[in-house]
Amino acid sequence: MNIILLLPAIFLLCLVFFIPLLRYFWLSLHAYSVSTGLELIPNGGVNWLRLLEDDRFWITTFQTVRFACVSVSVEVVLAIFIALLLDQKFKGIGIARALTLLPWALPTTIMALCWRWIFNTPNGPIERLISLVSNEPLNILSDPHLAWLATVLADIWKTTPFIALILLAGLQTISKDLYEAFRLEGGGKLQAFFTITLPLLRPYLLISLMFRLAQSFGVFDLIQILTGGGPAGSTESVATYAYINAMRFLDFGYSSTIILGGFIVLLLLSLFAMVFYVYSRKIFISKL
Amino acid sequence: MIRNKFLLIILLLWSLCPFFWQVYTSFCSSESILSPLLNIDNRWTLQNYIQLFTSEPPFWRYLLNSTIVGTTSTVLTLIIALPASYALTRINKVFATGFKLFFFIAALFPYVLLFLSLLEIARALNIGNNLFALSLPYASLSLPLAILLLSAAFNDLPKDLEEAAKIEGLGLFQRLRWILIPLIAPATASTSIIIFLFSWNEYPIALTWISKPELITLPVAIARIAGSSVYSVPYGAYAAATVLGSLPLIIIVLLFQKQIIAGLTQGAVKG
Amino acid sequence: MIYPLIIFISIAYSAWSFTHKPIDINILMPAPFADSTSTIVDQYNHENKGKVHINVTRGPLETEAVSDLAISSLLLGASPFDIILIDVTWLPKYAEAGWISSLDKYIDIEEWNSLISGAQDGNSYKGNIYRWPLVADMGLLYWRSDLMKEPPQTPNQLLEISRNLVQDNQVEYGYVWQGRQYEGLSCVFLEVLHAFGGEWLDDNNHVKLSSNESIEAAKWLRKLIKVGASPKAVTNFAETEALQVFESGQAAFMRNWPYAWSELQKDSSQVKGKVGLTLMVSEQGRPSASTLGSWGLSILQNSHNKKAAYQVIRYLTSQASQKKLFTDYGYTPTSEKLFDDVQLISKLSILPELKRALSVVQARPMTPLYAQISNVLQVELSSILTANKPAEDAMRLAKDKTKRIILSSGS
Repeated sequence: MNIILLLPAIFLLCLVFFIPLLRYFWLSLHAYSVSTGLELIPNGGVNWLRLLEDDRFWITTFQTVRFACVSVSVEVVLAIFIALLLDQKFKGIGIARALTLLPWALPTTIMALCWRWIFNTPNGPIERLISLVSNEPLNILSDPHLAWLATVLADIWKTTPFIALILLAGLQTISKDLYEAFRLEGGGKLQAFFTITLPLLRPYLLISLMFRLAQSFGVFDLIQILTGGGPAGSTESVATYAYINAMRFLDFGYSSTIILGGFIVLLLLSLFAMVFYVYSRKIFISKL
Repeated sequence: MIRNKFLLIILLLWSLCPFFWQVYTSFCSSESILSPLLNIDNRWTLQNYIQLFTSEPPFWRYLLNSTIVGTTSTVLTLIIALPASYALTRINKVFATGFKLFFFIAALFPYVLLFLSLLEIARALNIGNNLFALSLPYASLSLPLAILLLSAAFNDLPKDLEEAAKIEGLGLFQRLRWILIPLIAPATASTSIIIFLFSWNEYPIALTWISKPELITLPVAIARIAGSSVYSVPYGAYAAATVLGSLPLIIIVLLFQKQIIAGLTQGAVKG
Repeated sequence: MIYPLIIFISIAYSAWSFTHKPIDINILMPAPFADSTSTIVDQYNHENKGKVHINVTRGPLETEAVSDLAISSLLLGASPFDIILIDVTWLPKYAEAGWISSLDKYIDIEEWNSLISGAQDGNSYKGNIYRWPLVADMGLLYWRSDLMKEPPQTPNQLLEISRNLVQDNQVEYGYVWQGRQYEGLSCVFLEVLHAFGGEWLDDNNHVKLSSNESIEAAKWLRKLIKVGASPKAVTNFAETEALQVFESGQAAFMRNWPYAWSELQKDSSQVKGKVGLTLMVSEQGRPSASTLGSWGLSILQNSHNKKAAYQVIRYLTSQASQKKLFTDYGYTPTSEKLFDDVQLISKLSILPELKRALSVVQARPMTPLYAQISNVLQVELSSILTANKPAEDAMRLAKDKTKRIILSSGS
């Protein structure tokens, strides 16, 4: 009887997760593009061979993974500090927490536009500050090395508060007595952080890491509006590459292949991360 | 303590600065945006805002569209997620764990990758250009997180309560309607706000499902805004649009900060 | 007794409203065109009151965003539009996908031939005409008549003059163009490519991007930035940014489309009356080339009122409309006759120069794969300009990738 209550949910999830993935697989085995007059024509594994040879796909995948790893690790470190900072009791802390959360609550398109204007050359505030000390503008969004850092910075701004609040929740589950006991035994503040706080935050760190890594692997809005994938393709992500293949080039077969390829890479990375986590825990436990 | 307060202020500045810059830009005339030290007479203007409200369709239309989609998606998600989460706490433990794992993976999945298939679904069912239909994928994508959050709340309720109600002769629906769901109202509120925010902010699916200009949602409208002079980059209009688009969210966040934070916290603890 | 009456009235009413309800023609246009054609559209709606009514949907500002909108509406099926104003490069794609319908059966060949030849280009695919041009459009070189007597003729002169003017502090930037990784960069490159005698695709669809001429062209663009003849920021410029800089008097040269002219003559422009326009530079002995832009109106395959739609198209593209769009907005006319119209020339002296540019237009490859091969070129050019990738490597890669795209499509 109870299982019936679950059925609508299962049905909808199959509709938006399983069927699409199966459909992608089906499409990836077909030529389905404007050149075929938008007809499906089976072409064996040609799309997959093309994907293997397509260095743009691999560069894009690399860039996406790099973006995810760099931004998420900076976010987590910053978030720990922010969580500690917000884990205090005084008047107005509620408002402070809410304001810190604001960047996360805004649509990505809005904040990407904000950042595009901030990074603008020569009229944005950053370039104006630079122009006070140097004659050479940075050209942030037209320099491949700076442009991807700009995307990372914008992402950090937006999602650090989210992680910080999850960690804050974790901090609040830690009993204050633990710290008191530790202090009585003569432990310093820093030591307390490493022996009590960090280990007890582990599950929360793990959850936010997994969630954020997976989500930032799908980065799309930010890239499309902030840089459009340029300059020199240096900020392109798997999602934007798949998007232009489908919506601009009208090559749906290949776009599906890119999406599935990206998905497989993501699966492998998660598997790798999982193994790494379990292994590191074993070492951790064996040391105790 | 002083040091902490100082750091907190820096944190708030960092979070709010880009936004202040937008507010400032939105009140600048187009000449003064380009030359910051220009004479002060021409500096301030409401032109950017006036333009947004006189364009066709006017800007509030996008706010309305997003509100409609946000509300219907939230309601739809709750209608499906509440019974499902209840069921999850009442079925065999092994199954429940399996389902939870499935929901968890689904919640992690970078949904952007689904855009192409979802577009095909919209075409096959002929439900493109319909705000109510748009809430279908939104609700489906929000389900995993909603179910995880709500089932955690159901789990916390004492079992005896339901047993007592059963003995009183209340059916399943009545128990849910009158006893269980009211008891988890706080969790429901937090979940709703998170779903609402997601649906309000979603971009790639709205971009592909809606092509009628009077139906597009706020994030898409923002990305497509056109400026006052068609031959110059409309930074002022962009800024005004981002300010107006952010206002409802700022209000929501300030009003519901407790629920949002509780929701995120719950998700972290129980997930 | 009362029911038959009601039924009768309602039938009569619906029959009346059926015959009298005006046909709605929905047109999707990018925002600038929607604004500039609005008075013509109003006039049409006034003249045809009760018969045909045009609704213009104001699309986004950026060309690529318009294309995204048009394509997603077409992919969703049951597109709400009857007519779409499309860019020259979309035409083969839309035609191949079966989204737009051939205009051949409506077109009066004499009317068609009254178009200037540069405007006739880019409207056909596989022998059928799919689009009637609203404006002719081609790349032009804008120069500052207060800084020099004569515009440069060759790439080298352009580079030297720009560099000298920047070094003498007469202008902040020398030559501004479109260097962002987007379609504009392909347009710029096509002109330079032909200026050095190169080609993108030859007549047999062979990719010629790794020829010496094409490497030389890419190197020249790179050199502009390296020697300071163009600012580094140009690699993030689109048309609007270039125009903004040129309009404020900070640059000596600009590559842009004809619309920029009327913008530069406004009172707010710092260079009003100090601007000339001419053909793009080219190596000695080589003809100049001007990238064919141009927007035109196409009828969607699923429109129910194709005939009325065609009449609307012809109204919007009539000589009267062209005159108005030219004098008010600087949109280049498409009828050959208007280029010799003494009255128009006296109003806007640039008309003969525009005609000259139209005679040297070069179309970008007319293939449904255009977006793809242009994207490949943009990424490689952008990496030459911004990431110091050697031009030889980048252009060879561009050639290989383009070849693979053409091969894997099977055409």
